[in-house]
Amino acid sequence: MVGALNTYVTPSGFWNPILWLIAFLISLLLAYIIWSRGEKSYKKETEQVKPFFAGNVIESKERAHVRAHNIYWGFVEALRPYYMALKRIHTGDVNDYVAWFIGVTSFMLIIYFLWGVKP
Amino acid sequence: MMYVLLALYIIAAPFIVGALGILYGMVLKGIDRKLTARMQGRVGPPLRQPFYDVLKLLEKECIIPENAVKWLFNAAPLIALAASITTLLYLPIGPFPPLFSGNGDLIVILYLLEVPCLAILAGGFAAGSPYSTVGSQREMVLMISCEFPLAAAIIALAWKYSSIYPGLKAFSLTTFVNNPIWNNVGVLGFIGVGILLIVMLALSTSGLGRLPFDIAEAGTEISGGMLVEYTGRNLGILYINDAVRVVVFATLINAMFFPYKLSPLIANYVALPLAASLTIDFLFYLFKVFLIAFVTVTLMRVAFPRYRVDDVVKFYWGIAGLATLAALILIVMDTFFGW
Repeated sequence: MVGALNTYVTPSGFWNPILWLIAFLISLLLAYIIWSRGEKSYKKETEQVKPFFAGNVIESKERAHVRAHNIYWGFVEALRPYYMALKRIHTGDVNDYVAWFIGVTSFMLIIYFLWGVKP
Repeated sequence: MMYVLLALYIIAAPFIVGALGILYGMVLKGIDRKLTARMQGRVGPPLRQPFYDVLKLLEKECIIPENAVKWLFNAAPLIALAASITTLLYLPIGPFPPLFSGNGDLIVILYLLEVPCLAILAGGFAAGSPYSTVGSQREMVLMISCEFPLAAAIIALAWKYSSIYPGLKAFSLTTFVNNPIWNNVGVLGFIGVGILLIVMLALSTSGLGRLPFDIAEAGTEISGGMLVEYTGRNLGILYINDAVRVVVFATLINAMFFPYKLSPLIANYVALPLAASLTIDFLFYLFKVFLIAFVTVTLMRVAFPRYRVDDVVKFYWGIAGLATLAALILIVMDTFFGW
């Protein structure tokens, strides 16, 4: 029945963003109805609004801030050999980067001339 | 007249599926807690405990931390639950086809599965608390780690369908349900699909944020992580969302790997009216969802301790990624050589 709405169709798949949006908004209404049945109040201007910090005092927002680069810790730790190899390549010497550029370009050109698309 | 019916259908569908997802999800939560307790030598709470928990949370104060971005902090649980319910509309519920059948394929479902996670991690960042920030960062790591094996597993199966049924939509769940994958593979393909099933079960556990992949919440380590500042009705909605997501993941795995019905088997011996066969197939679906939830949630959290963040990355990019690629090669060999 819902096929009456326009659906984007590709050779292997399909989707209807308008239908999704309508369904999402109705689901949001359902969630809101449940949420609105709950208690609204809390004690403002008391200790309970302080962020949880395991009982320690937060001296300032800035000092308690968690830096974004922490996100990458898991990746760096798990893929350490890969990152170490990358670090070795990144010497900071522009001659090395130009050599890499020439080398990779030459390699790609050889592949292109050997197996590239013929006119 | 047709458009009125269409409008009523679209409005009613989320309420019907949402009610089913919430109620059955909460029942599964109760069963999970009971079975976990029994396996740990405890009595455990009653099966209706999750319902009491939600009612209790709705009666508690809903505290907004002073550093929080209030609108985002409050909106995140609602968006998460709404997205989870919406995902159910694209999945076949037992003998019934998806309510939005033909309007969203597996790629859409793949992305919809990510929306609740994104909402909750945005809520964690919006809480303005160091613990919730760390939790949200970990959730991002988990999501990025899972992307590759999840996409590769779905593409491997879709490729198989596209090669044997070129006329059908390879990414449509209807194709999966009408042509069970196990019936369309040889020995090598069978092994490959088996590997993909194991990977998908592991991905479900991490998608649900459960042990051993609950690094984003990690109660004993970062005190609940993303959820540490959530209380009252906000936490209640997140609790319900968690229950619905169990049904979503289990229903997806059921549709992809176990779309079988019981009524054709019984019909060999007894003539079944339509209502009876639909009821039997629906109950069979509920049973299969329970079994999948038991493996992905209950058994996993009892059997394994929590992984470290870097171990999760190693597992998904290393073991699960390689296993998925091996499965893809086996399925390709099965298709080309018919082994």
